[in-house]
Amino acid sequence: MRERIRFTFLDLILLIILFSGAGYILFRMKAELHYEWDWSAVASYIVRYDAAAESYVPGLLLAGLAVTFKLSVWSTVCASMIGLFMGLMKISKNVILKLTSSIYVGIVRNIPSIVFIFIFYFFISGQIADAFEFDHRADSVSWYGDLFSFLFASPPMFAVFISAVLTLALYEGAYMTEIVRAGIESVEKGQGEAADALGFSRYQKMRHIVLPQAFKRILPPMAGQVISVIKDSAIVSVISVQDLTFRGTELMASTYKTYEIWITITLMYFILTYGCSLAVGSVEKRMVRKGYV
Amino acid sequence: MKRSVLIVLSIILMFSGCAKKDHGNQLDEVKKRGVLRVGMSTFVPWAMNDKEGNLIGFEIDVATELAKDMGVKIEFVPTKWSGIIPSLLTGKFDVIIGGMGITEERAKKVDFSDPYDFSGMSIVASRKKAPDFKDLASFNKSEILIAARLGTTAAEAAKKNFPNAQLKLFDDEAQAIQELLTDRVHAVVASSPLPEYQAIKYSKRFYLPVEDTFENEPIGFAMKKGEDSLKSYFNSWIKKKTGDGFLKERKNYWFKTRDWEKRVE
Repeated sequence: MRERIRFTFLDLILLIILFSGAGYILFRMKAELHYEWDWSAVASYIVRYDAAAESYVPGLLLAGLAVTFKLSVWSTVCASMIGLFMGLMKISKNVILKLTSSIYVGIVRNIPSIVFIFIFYFFISGQIADAFEFDHRADSVSWYGDLFSFLFASPPMFAVFISAVLTLALYEGAYMTEIVRAGIESVEKGQGEAADALGFSRYQKMRHIVLPQAFKRILPPMAGQVISVIKDSAIVSVISVQDLTFRGTELMASTYKTYEIWITITLMYFILTYGCSLAVGSVEKRMVRKGYV
Repeated sequence: MKRSVLIVLSIILMFSGCAKKDHGNQLDEVKKRGVLRVGMSTFVPWAMNDKEGNLIGFEIDVATELAKDMGVKIEFVPTKWSGIIPSLLTGKFDVIIGGMGITEERAKKVDFSDPYDFSGMSIVASRKKAPDFKDLASFNKSEILIAARLGTTAAEAAKKNFPNAQLKLFDDEAQAIQELLTDRVHAVVASSPLPEYQAIKYSKRFYLPVEDTFENEPIGFAMKKGEDSLKSYFNSWIKKKTGDGFLKERKNYWFKTRDWEKRVE
């Protein structure tokens, strides 16, 4: 039974204060910035008409959003796997496994993300990409190359894209490790003891008793972390991955339409992350309705 | 226990096995690969995006012509200016063609070709905050704030010419200009002709305290140290292109005329 929301006099005053505050900020923006607003070209950064191809093609910012999206998806996939393995390692009885996981989480969580990304990109990930000789290999085979471009990035950008995915995955993986560990440890001790009493092996105990229960508790914070991945992906623009933020800053340097472009980028990120929030919300509701939680 | 040690060891071995191969002769490598990878960063009018999202600008023309003469394809790698030298050193591209001024500091880390262009610095000031400044010396005071782009020779020129003034450094020029528009700094120093363009665009708010440029600096291609065959190839190419007037003609189009402006906005 839902409680009805009542609109009181106090709410009215609060609303007036909020709106006048926003109005004041807008007014100051206009008075202080001396900025010549020009929104005319912004639409063409999202979708523009290509005369040569006689069709509409994505503009620079939409292309950037696509890169951000792909980056987020692959990073989430890799980070979840890292998180699951490292989380299991952290609760393992083996000292070395436990130590590896603790050191990993300890290092990643205690250095600023931008420093981590620079160090990892310049010293480590480049060599990994080199070793696989990703560069220019996909050039020669067409359908294979096209599929690669669609799923990841075009061959010239492939190495840097993979570097970015790895870096982001390792970074977010540390947080997911802690989520997984906390989820598993939150399962009541009695559950494990009952499994032991029934003669389950350690693997069976994990697979059939602990993990299914932990999974339900992991899911909500994990979903929040996925939204974090999207937001944090902006940081890889410093290693020149052509994501939404990088495209935006390049456009600003070309056109000097600083605020129009920042505002547009903000809205585009918001659409992506808010979309995810809504999706997560509906999944959670469904789980409650079906009695999983 | 023993098994985990083995696993850790094999992981370490795997990584060391991936260590970079020694590339040796980069000119041969570029030709074999059939692609010249050029690192650049957006600087109006050296390199920028046009309305269709293609890269255009003086450096883009130079690099495209260079690749054509080498008989290879061109590939631009847009990179943040602050990270462009580390990216070159870690092999993300073969050469920087990005209006990079030849300085001693940079020459310690990279090799430069002969200069193919020269560029001066100029300064644009706010009418309101710094009215009627007639010479550079007026900006050399402790209460003066000057904005420039991080890691550029403009930032160094500002430091050298205005040692008493305070510097505010930004990731790109658009932010520096915005700082001037909001009157949070007195002036912006950048490579000519950017300050001149801004003074025309915002003529009511900005002016040029001195008409001439200062600190005329040579511009060269930057490459990894010790790539002598690549360097001598670039040098002879620059000699040839200076001789046949290509560089001068392109420079004229991008710096003296504003015909290209319609392509950007």
